[in-house]
Amino acid sequence: MQLYERIAANPRLVYTDASTGQSFRAADRRGSLGLEDARGLALLYIDNTLTAVEVLLNFLDSRFTIALLSPALHVEYKQQLEAIYRPSYIYDPSRPAVAGYAAVQANERVRLFKDTNAAAYTIHPDTRLLLSTSGTTGSPKFVKLSEENLVQNALSILAYLPVSGTDVTPLNLPLYYSYGLSVFTTNSMAGGQVVCTSRDVLQPAFWEDLQRYGFTSLAGVPYVYEMFYRIGFCKKEYPSLRYLTQAGGKLNAVLAKAFGEYAAAHGKDFFIMYGQTEATARMAYLPPADLLRKTGSIGIPIPNGRFDIDPATQELLYTGPNVGGGYAACAADLAFFDGGQVLRTGDMARQDEDGYYYITGRLKRFVKLFGTRVNLDEVEQILKQAFGGQTFACTGVEDKHLLVLLREDTPDSAAVKQLLSEKLGLHPRAFMVKQVDDFIFTPNGKMDYQDMMKM
Amino acid sequence: MHTTQQLQEIMAAALSVPVSSITDELEYQGIPEWDSVSHIYLITELEAAYNISIDTEDVLEMSSVPKVKAVLKKHNIAIN
Repeated sequence: MQLYERIAANPRLVYTDASTGQSFRAADRRGSLGLEDARGLALLYIDNTLTAVEVLLNFLDSRFTIALLSPALHVEYKQQLEAIYRPSYIYDPSRPAVAGYAAVQANERVRLFKDTNAAAYTIHPDTRLLLSTSGTTGSPKFVKLSEENLVQNALSILAYLPVSGTDVTPLNLPLYYSYGLSVFTTNSMAGGQVVCTSRDVLQPAFWEDLQRYGFTSLAGVPYVYEMFYRIGFCKKEYPSLRYLTQAGGKLNAVLAKAFGEYAAAHGKDFFIMYGQTEATARMAYLPPADLLRKTGSIGIPIPNGRFDIDPATQELLYTGPNVGGGYAACAADLAFFDGGQVLRTGDMARQDEDGYYYITGRLKRFVKLFGTRVNLDEVEQILKQAFGGQTFACTGVEDKHLLVLLREDTPDSAAVKQLLSEKLGLHPRAFMVKQVDDFIFTPNGKMDYQDMMKM
Repeated sequence: MHTTQQLQEIMAAALSVPVSSITDELEYQGIPEWDSVSHIYLITELEAAYNISIDTEDVLEMSSVPKVKAVLKKHNIAIN
C-alpha cells in the first residue's frame, strides 16, 4: 500500500490546529486542491499549519514528485532553486507572485503557483520525495526518496516506537526536516490526533497546549532538549506524556542522563535515535531499557536495517529498505533513482560486545548547528564569493560552533559573522572567526583541518 | 544604576538586531530574529550582565521588553 492509502486507512486519525482548535480528517480534505492526475515536480515551502498539512496530503495523494522546503529560506535561494528545477507547482504563502507562474486559488485556504509553460522533463517513477540535507545554505542538492522508502521507514519506526490510536502528537519539528516528517508519517499511519502547531517550546502557549490536548509524546533535536532542560522540564510532571524521542545529533552525556533518569522515575520511555535524511529518517534506536547502561550509544539498527563497519576506515555502513536513491543537484538528476545501495553514513563507529553501536567520529565535512547540517565546503565557497575570492577554512567545533579561519586582516570578524548569519539564517553567535598566520596543508595539498584546529 | 539604553544594547546584541528595533512593542517570535536560539542567548547574557540567575519559569515569561524588565525587577534590578 502507498503512504497516502495507509494514512487514509487510519480510522483514528484527525489533524487539529493547536491555536484555533479546528480539525479535519484526511478524507475531509481529499482532492481539495483539485490537482490533475499527472506527473511533475512540486516545490512546497511548508510550515506546520493545518493548511500546510492539507497541501502535503493532497500532493501525497497525487502522482507529483514533492520537494519539501523551509518557508524561511532566503527568497534569492528560492528563486535559484526554481530556476534550476522549474517545478510544475510551487506552494509558498509568503510570496504574492512568482515570475513565470500563474497564481491559482485552489480553494479558500490554498493558493498555488502553476507553471504557465510547463517544461516537460523526465522524472524516474521512484523519485517521489526530495528533502534537503542542509536546511539553510540554499543548496540545490536534495536526497531522492521513493514512496517505498517512506512507507518502509515508517513501518520500521512503528515496530519500536509505542505509537497508538489514542495518541495526541504535536508536530513540533518542521515537516521539511526528515525527523519532523517521520513524526508526521508514523503518526498519520498509526497515531490518533496530530496537533499542528507553529509554537515553539519557549512559548508558554506550547505548554498550555500540551495540557489542553494531552500530548502523549514530544520529539526534539539536542538543542530542543537543552531548552527543555533550561526551562526546568525535569522538575515538572506531565501526566499525559508517555514517551520522548531524540534525534538529529548527539545529545550530551549530562542531558542524556538527566532525561534518562527523569523518564525512568516517571514511568516514561525515552528513545535516543540515530539517522540521516539519506535513509529517509531513521537507522538506529537505543531501547529505553538500555538508556542508562549504554549511555552515549546510538543503539541497534531499526527493524529491517543492518549496520556494517568498514574495516579500513571504521565508517558506519547501513543497508535497509529506507535507503534513498542518491542525490539530485539539477532537474536532469530526477530521471535517475539509484536504489538498494549501501549507505555510507560518513560517521565512524564501533560496536560493543553486546552489539550496540557508538559513533566515534565524522568523515564528512559538515557541522550540525541546532540540528541542521551545515556543509563546510559550501560555507567556504559562500565566503570566498562574498569577500573577493579570498580563501577561508571552515570547520566545526563540537556541533556547537562553526569556526572560520582566515589569513588576512579583512574582513573583520563581525562582517564574517553577519554575512554567514544572513546567508545561512543562523544566529551570529553560532560562528567563531580566527585569524591565522597561514593554513596548514596535507602532503597532497588539501587543507589539513585537523591540524589547524589545534592552532 | 541600570539604564534602559544598557538593556536595549544587551537585547540588540543577543537578538542580533539594531538597538532602534528594541521597543516596548517587540515580542518573542514577533520578528524572525527573536527565536528560541536567540532567546537562550539573551537569557545567558542578561544573567552575565546583571550577575543574576534567572528562574526556569521566568525564561518563558520574558517574552517582551516590559516583561524582561519585570523579571529583572524581581532581582532588584530597576531599569530607568
